[in-house]
Amino acid sequence: MARVARRIVHGLLLLAGVSVFAFALLSAAPGNFFDELRLNPQVSPETVAALKIQYGMDRPLPVRYLRWVASVARGQFGYSLSYHCTVGSLLWLRARNTLLLTGFATLLAWMVALPWGVLEALHRGGWVDRMGGAVTAVLLAIPDVLLGLLLLLFAARTGWFPTGGMASVDAASAAFLGRLQDAALHLFLPVVALALGTIPILVRHVRSAMVGVLDSPFVEAARGHGIPKWRLIYRHALPAATNSLISQLGFSIGALLSMSLLMEVVLSWPGLGPLVLEAILARDVYVVIAAVMLSSVFLVIGNLVADLLLYWSDPRIRAVSP
Amino acid sequence: MAAEAKGAGEAAQPLLAVRGLTLRYTRRRVFGAERTAITAFHDISLEILTGKTLALVGPSGSGKSSLARCLVLLEQPSSGEILYRGKNLLALSRKELKPARREIHLIFQDSASALNPGLTIEEILAEPLVIHKSGGTLAERRTLIREVMKQAELPEKWLGRRPLELSGGQRQRVAIARSLTLGPKLLVLDEALSALDLSTQGQIANLLLDLQAQHSLAYLFITHDLAVASLLAQEVAMMSAGRIARRGSPAKVFTANLQAGRGLLPSDSPSGETVPAPLISQGK
Repeated sequence: MARVARRIVHGLLLLAGVSVFAFALLSAAPGNFFDELRLNPQVSPETVAALKIQYGMDRPLPVRYLRWVASVARGQFGYSLSYHCTVGSLLWLRARNTLLLTGFATLLAWMVALPWGVLEALHRGGWVDRMGGAVTAVLLAIPDVLLGLLLLLFAARTGWFPTGGMASVDAASAAFLGRLQDAALHLFLPVVALALGTIPILVRHVRSAMVGVLDSPFVEAARGHGIPKWRLIYRHALPAATNSLISQLGFSIGALLSMSLLMEVVLSWPGLGPLVLEAILARDVYVVIAAVMLSSVFLVIGNLVADLLLYWSDPRIRAVSP
Repeated sequence: MAAEAKGAGEAAQPLLAVRGLTLRYTRRRVFGAERTAITAFHDISLEILTGKTLALVGPSGSGKSSLARCLVLLEQPSSGEILYRGKNLLALSRKELKPARREIHLIFQDSASALNPGLTIEEILAEPLVIHKSGGTLAERRTLIREVMKQAELPEKWLGRRPLELSGGQRQRVAIARSLTLGPKLLVLDEALSALDLSTQGQIANLLLDLQAQHSLAYLFITHDLAVASLLAQEVAMMSAGRIARRGSPAKVFTANLQAGRGLLPSDSPSGETVPAPLISQGK
């Protein structure tokens, strides 16, 4: 329990650091939301000045930061200059959609990568390994955007999947099963696109972790006893390879989230991606900062979960930890 | 009279006989189709008798460990026969191999990596029983595990511990106990004492001698420690450059080698490769 509390405190300190950096870097960046307004002849300089005062943008950076921290404590995460509402209310719905997407993509990526990597390791140097290696190399070489566009083209040509959004126009009036099917069809392309981008990296991690374990004498001892292959994998090799894979799980959650921002824009998924892109273009600072913070929160949580899983799965870590 | 004749026949037949065993690896060069064949050992023949110890000595890279791995079928030899109780193991199906796998075990040098770090000692000892579906009911298995712990002079309270909580000598005892669960007849000890300090080496050597006396175990004792080889083995085979260079009683082999002006052991391969240079041949 003390270990969990300590890790949470470390995570909070890290997030505080990220927030300071995000604030400082965005302030140092040239241009702001009001520069665009100044170019509009219909808006007078007095109005712009009044708006800056209204939103507190005329205050020094430390004051703005402290006010932002106070608004985080209230769950508002600042105020969106473009949408004229609190960032919190804007973000939660989009974050939920992004989480839905990355959650399914993470699940799919691991479900494919785990058996694939194990299979390659078991047939090291053989044609299965070489074919698998070639496929992962090709997938790694294709840029994520191109992968998204290819899937979009596939959907448009075949008409099997919707090419954007989260639900059809008439989905609300459908029965529960119909709505579920509609959501699954809309989720399919973005999930596959995200998973395809992550799978090759995961496959290579699984393969190398398994190869290392399969060479260890305790696995050879079990092989010498004539252990069936399936038992060798699930009883000895996979649990021993788990440590590095669990650490990878933490990173894969963070990496998938960053990747999803781009893929959501390409595949018109109403998640954080399009919102952040618009916010960056419009210099809507608090939305950008909140998105950066949310990304960091996911990364911290992913690593915290990975740490706890490691603690649970490896008796050696339990033995040295208080 | 008939029983006597049968007994004499069994005593004459070696428990394990190796005939003309050769192991050759092929290595493909990077960016090229050309293959290089590397011979780990060539035309090895030897016999191990029930209840006896054969020491296999030789410098690093002479092919001792590769031979050990072949005998427990972790490697497939290129040619030759491994006759166990008169049956060629290399010609048997996976199912037919089961009895031999129960009776031949390999004990590794590094006990820390030879035991699964995630399992408790009890789970490690139960694993061979689970694999071979033997040992009877759960309660009978527990009794058997406690019995082998006793034989390996390990306290019962360590059953819940994990390998890394034990010392090197204690782990090596666990590795030996793991083999004992299946009622072995032949233990291949691949430098099993080398990683231990002198006092622990003595203790494990005594344990091995006691177990041999109790269970009529045969040992193939692979080592480069000639003192230990002389102490434990009735016969010594000296390997050099992938071949058996000399065979006989420890005194005879070591004396012959000294007289040949080679010291007690032949020197390491001059190329410094793991596998000796003279046996490397181009092409297949």
